[in-house]
Amino acid sequence: MKEITNVTIISTNINKNILQIYKDYQLIDQSFKIEDLLQYKKIIFFNVFNELSEDKIREIYSYLDSHNILYINVTNNIEEVLFTDYLIVYDKEKILIEGTTLEVLKNEKLLKRIGLSLPFMVELSLYLKDYNLIDKIYLNNESLVGALWK
Amino acid sequence: MEIKEIIKQNGIIGIISNYENTLKYTNLVKDINIKDISKALKMVLLDDSYLDKKVSELTLNEQFKIDLMTKLNKEVIIIGNLSKVLNSKDIDYFKKLFLKLNNEYHKKVIIIDNDVKVFFSLVKRIYVMKNKNILYETDNFFDRNLYKYTVCPKIIDFIFYLEDHGHEIIKTTDIYELIKDIYRRVS
Repeated sequence: MKEITNVTIISTNINKNILQIYKDYQLIDQSFKIEDLLQYKKIIFFNVFNELSEDKIREIYSYLDSHNILYINVTNNIEEVLFTDYLIVYDKEKILIEGTTLEVLKNEKLLKRIGLSLPFMVELSLYLKDYNLIDKIYLNNESLVGALWK
Repeated sequence: MEIKEIIKQNGIIGIISNYENTLKYTNLVKDINIKDISKALKMVLLDDSYLDKKVSELTLNEQFKIDLMTKLNKEVIIIGNLSKVLNSKDIDYFKKLFLKLNNEYHKKVIIIDNDVKVFFSLVKRIYVMKNKNILYETDNFFDRNLYKYTVCPKIIDFIFYLEDHGHEIIKTTDIYELIKDIYRRVS
C-alpha cells in the first residue's frame, strides 16, 4: 500500500474496524488540545471535527502541516472532505472509491447511491453550471458569488 | 425554562448540545424486549439479520438505530447525534419518521445535535443548552445570534454572505429554491 499523506476518509457507516490498517497512526477520537498533537508523527482523527468551525479545522491542519505531521480524518460529514486533497470513500468496511477529492466528488451518482450527499459548495456549483451560470466548481462563497455577480 | 418545560411543548424540538448516549442494551439484539421486533427493526432501516448480533459490537450508525428502536414506543422520544453517526440518506429517512411519529402518533420528539442542518424542515423551535441550562432559543434558522453557539450550516452561511455583500436573495434552507432564486436574479 502506498504511503498515505493527508487524507479524508468518509464512510457511510463509520466504524473503527477500518482503522486497523493504519496501525502506526495515533488515534484521536475525543476533544483534544492542538499543542498535544505535536508529540505524534501520524494522526488519525475519528469523527472529532463535527462541532468545530471551518476556520478552526483549517487552523488545526495548518498547524499539523507546519510541523510535518501526517493526518487522516475519518468522518461522516461530507463538508470535511474539502479540507484535504485526497479522499477515500468507504461503503461499510470496503473502499468504494479513492482519489483526489474533486475527482472522487465527480462520482455524484455513486456517492448518492450509498447515501452520501455532495458538499454544499460543490453541489451548488454543479447545479449552477448546469444552468450555464458558471463554468466550474467553486469551493468558497467569495469566488462563487464573484463568478455569479460579475 | 428547563428541559421539563421543553418536553411539555408540542411539535418536534431541536436542542443544540452535546449528547452522551450510554448504551442501555449491549447483549444480543433479539434479547431486547420489544413486541414485534422484526417490524421495529425495519422501521429503523435494519433487518432480521441483526437479531443474533451483539449491540456492543455494532457500528455507531447501527447502535443509533437500535437505540431509537428501543424508544419508538415511548411517549417522549429523546434522541441525539444524528449528524455524527448517520449519512444524509438515513437522516432524511429519520426526519420523515419523526414527523410521522409526531403528526400521526402524537409523540413528542426531542432531537439533540450540534448540526443545525439536522433540524431543517423538522423542528418548530431550537434551544441551545449547556450543562442543562438554556443559553438561547429561537424559531428562526436565519437568526444570526444562533450561530454564536454553533457552526452555521453552509447554505445559511452562503445566504448571509450574499446579504452582507448587498445581494437580495431568498431565505431558504432548500438548495433547489436557492438555485431557482439565483437563476432569477443573475440570468
